[in-house]
Amino acid sequence: MAETGTFYLEIITPERQFYIGPAEALVLPAVDGQMGIYPGHEPVVTAIEPGELRYKAEGKWEPAAVGAGFAEIKPDYVILLVGFAEHPEEIDQKRAEAARKRAEERLRQKQSVHEYYHSKAALARAMARLKTRR
Amino acid sequence: MASIKEIRTHIKSVEQTLKITNAMYLISSSNLRKARKQLTDVEPYFQKIETTISDILHHSPEINHVFFDKRPGIPRSERKVGYIVITGDKGLAGSYNHNILKLAEQRINAGAHTSLFVVGQVGRSYFQEHGVPIDMEFLYTAQDPNMGRARDMAELMLDLYLEKQLDEVYIIFTKMVNSFQMEPTIHKLLPLDPDVFPEYEENRDTYNRDVTYVPSVKAVMDRLAPGYVKGDIFGALVESYCSEQNARMTAMKSSSDNARAMLQTLNLSYNRARQAAITQEITEVVGGAQAAL
Repeated sequence: MAETGTFYLEIITPERQFYIGPAEALVLPAVDGQMGIYPGHEPVVTAIEPGELRYKAEGKWEPAAVGAGFAEIKPDYVILLVGFAEHPEEIDQKRAEAARKRAEERLRQKQSVHEYYHSKAALARAMARLKTRR
Repeated sequence: MASIKEIRTHIKSVEQTLKITNAMYLISSSNLRKARKQLTDVEPYFQKIETTISDILHHSPEINHVFFDKRPGIPRSERKVGYIVITGDKGLAGSYNHNILKLAEQRINAGAHTSLFVVGQVGRSYFQEHGVPIDMEFLYTAQDPNMGRARDMAELMLDLYLEKQLDEVYIIFTKMVNSFQMEPTIHKLLPLDPDVFPEYEENRDTYNRDVTYVPSVKAVMDRLAPGYVKGDIFGALVESYCSEQNARMTAMKSSSDNARAMLQTLNLSYNRARQAAITQEITEVVGGAQAAL
């Protein structure tokens, strides 16, 4: 068991291990809204939507943009597996903005169901980055 | 013995080839280092996702998810099978491309309804030359694998699978066993097979029994399975890229070594020819002088 007051947080993407270490609290974008997690949470596995994530490490809230994925929550540790994870300062605002415009443009045109979902997902990723960057 | 001039041209051309092979060796060895890092980075993600899926599978064994549907109603001869074949974009990589294409061809000839999705220019032109139909819109390069490309490929495969245009999807890629041994491998992407996910005998912790799935097992699985396929494809791309660079590095190293050995013998025969020419000239001069006396 980790010492009380913190749990062990792992945020892993295919490209890198984004954060591994103790955290005091975590707010993650679940499918049906934001979900807050403190140490001692009941064991849960949940899906994650692209959006903004915040975790509290050493008394400071750290925001991050994350992609779709899922979280495995146990009382003393939380593992997040997401498509991408970025610190706000890593996000290229211009690029995200361009991606958002591109996705919106595509959504306005007639397209197949597959293309529609594809554009939707691209838009969600761009919005997640923009929201975190602000 | 060849003339001095001939040998000199030969030496020059070997030197030029050596320059090229040596440069390619250096490039692929630096690429390999990068790819290796990528490979080690992707591993933890992959292992975690595998563990979680097997956790879910073994705690709710009655799972009946669409990605696990083996479609047993369709007979073997009627099944539509898709193959993703990962080759390099360039040749000059030893037997790397050859091995993977040989394996792919074997599999394609074995089935009746197969579709081919080829990554890499070498494979594409090979199948075109041999008159094997491939998906022409599936244009991805093998260079510099990234998550976006894996995502696009995974989305396409999942769509084709869900629309029942494909009943099974396999990926044929080169696995890097260690830096001396690379193995062309076939890996089943879809449908997911519950037996593939190993049961972890020793429960990793005591909480596993009563895990809740929010909002539901199906919703979680809906995210997990595509994520897994995506990770699978990405892993295969990275592994193939790594193998390709490794194969090219080995091939270029041995050709550089050969070129150096060749240069040595050529230099030797060049010097001999030169010496012979000088000796001959001296004999001629001496002979001429003696005749003049």
